[in-house]
Amino acid sequence: MMSIEHTHGHDHESHAAHDDHHDHKPTGFLNRWLFTTNHKDIGTLYLVFALLMFFTGGAMAMVIRAELFMPGLQLVEPDFFNQMTTMHALIMVFGAVMPAWVGFANWMIPMMIGAPDMALPRMNNWSFWILPFAFAMLLSTLLMDSGGPAAGWTLYPPLSLQGGQSFAFVVFAVHMMGISSIMGSINVIATILNMRAPGMSLLKMPLFVWTWLITAFLLIAVMPVLAGAVTMLLTDHFFGTSFFNAAGGGDPVMFQHIFWFFGHPEVYIMILPAFGVVSEIIPTFARKPLFGYTAMVYATASIAFLSFIVWAHHMFTVGMPLTGELYFMYATMLIAVPTGVKVFNWVSTMWQGSMTFETPMLFAIGFVVLFTIGGLSGLMLAITAADLQYHDTYFVVAHFHYVLVPGSVFALMAGAYYWLPKWTGHMYSEKWGKIHFWISAISVNILFFPQHYLGLAGMPRRIPDYSTQFADFNMISSIGGFIFGASQLIFVGVILHCVYKSREAASGRVWEGARGLEWILSSPPPYHSFNTPPVIDATTVAHAGEAH
Amino acid sequence: MEKVGRDEIAARRSRAVRTAWVLGAVAALIFITFILSGVLKS
Repeated sequence: MMSIEHTHGHDHESHAAHDDHHDHKPTGFLNRWLFTTNHKDIGTLYLVFALLMFFTGGAMAMVIRAELFMPGLQLVEPDFFNQMTTMHALIMVFGAVMPAWVGFANWMIPMMIGAPDMALPRMNNWSFWILPFAFAMLLSTLLMDSGGPAAGWTLYPPLSLQGGQSFAFVVFAVHMMGISSIMGSINVIATILNMRAPGMSLLKMPLFVWTWLITAFLLIAVMPVLAGAVTMLLTDHFFGTSFFNAAGGGDPVMFQHIFWFFGHPEVYIMILPAFGVVSEIIPTFARKPLFGYTAMVYATASIAFLSFIVWAHHMFTVGMPLTGELYFMYATMLIAVPTGVKVFNWVSTMWQGSMTFETPMLFAIGFVVLFTIGGLSGLMLAITAADLQYHDTYFVVAHFHYVLVPGSVFALMAGAYYWLPKWTGHMYSEKWGKIHFWISAISVNILFFPQHYLGLAGMPRRIPDYSTQFADFNMISSIGGFIFGASQLIFVGVILHCVYKSREAASGRVWEGARGLEWILSSPPPYHSFNTPPVIDATTVAHAGEAH
Repeated sequence: MEKVGRDEIAARRSRAVRTAWVLGAVAALIFITFILSGVLKS
């Protein structure tokens, strides 16, 4: 339910007024957007860029699902199909989901901890503006003679080394994305550790800030590992080294170890901020404090720690000692414990709450249910003996898409609907938001659930053609995919309407049950907020009155 | 409302820059160590 309150008290009112007094936006398009050092503008740039990449990667997914609509080769050549699967993954991971979370971090972290801006605003600008060049370079490979990368987002040698000259562009693009991510993470950590308002101790911070702090440490630890691995691929390809080339004494399996030492934490980089957003939204619409705030913080840290020591579950089939298989199996299963704590705490927060079901809450509940399905299929994949059957089948595709689409992407949608009125100062259309949710929630299951059956029946991933026995489930999956893809246009319509057309003004505290510093600011917040640190008390702390 | 003085703001900025340098150095060290470990092995 939308709040009808406009202010919270004299302190907060005067706060907004004081900040408004200094609300000097830069004039001119270039000054405002190209040279900006303002965390809100840079957050907007990240979010717009991520949305563009979401539709670019989504268009590639449509090509994939159209080709797989029926058995036989329909629309594209097999090599182009492989380029589509590879580019779809690289763009969705590095271009859509990660930049979207950095956009949320930019917008929300300073406002949530009472800081005037990010700690290093000029580096913040640089972090963003590297990205369009990185992705222009990556996408340009599709126009080159040798085509785009086609070895899968994992870039496994020897296949990735058999590509043409465009591989150098891919490696350089990955380097640039990595540099951008590392600079963004440094900024997040420096901001959270040094810029909090007086009284905002670490254990008073909103969960979203906590999850981003831990995510930023993960990024700094693993992005250089990816950079090192692709640099070695580059020298193997162009300079005659043999790090991963068996013919020269190198070890291709070593690449898989290095890649997944990056790749598994990367999965958590995409999902931990989602945990944070959902942990903000559920208490708001259940009108109850988050159940087990401290446990949530420790569970997030535990998941981050465990993410470093489970990588080889992605490569059970390469052959490893039995003790190694057992270790990686049990260590992987252990992740279910802190994840289970989180799901339990979200459900407990909702238990006996005065719940209402606005669009952000619908997406958050959708996240909890569907992410849990993805988590459970992950547990199945952790069982070494079973994984030998499931490996490289559509079961794996179904698993990670459940974690990333109704997981990470639904949380992004939830966060966007939750904070859109705060960012724009206008309410979005609740009716169209709900239509967007229900079509997305139904179609995403039509899209990905049949893929479990395809995988269990033995359909391999990354192929443009398949046996006729897989035809029915593929057709159902493709229909779900087309509906899901089309339904995301509603999201764009809702955003455009909210920004340009909506006449319903949002109050400062948009949602009745919302707590936290961002809600004491006006909607939209002043261009420069919290130049004077806010007062931290029970009414302004996001998770005050925690139910232990 | 609590005021933060100019000295405190300057101190925070210098702490933030120091944090950034330390984290950047850690990232660079991980990158270099990975490459070096591969070079020394082969």
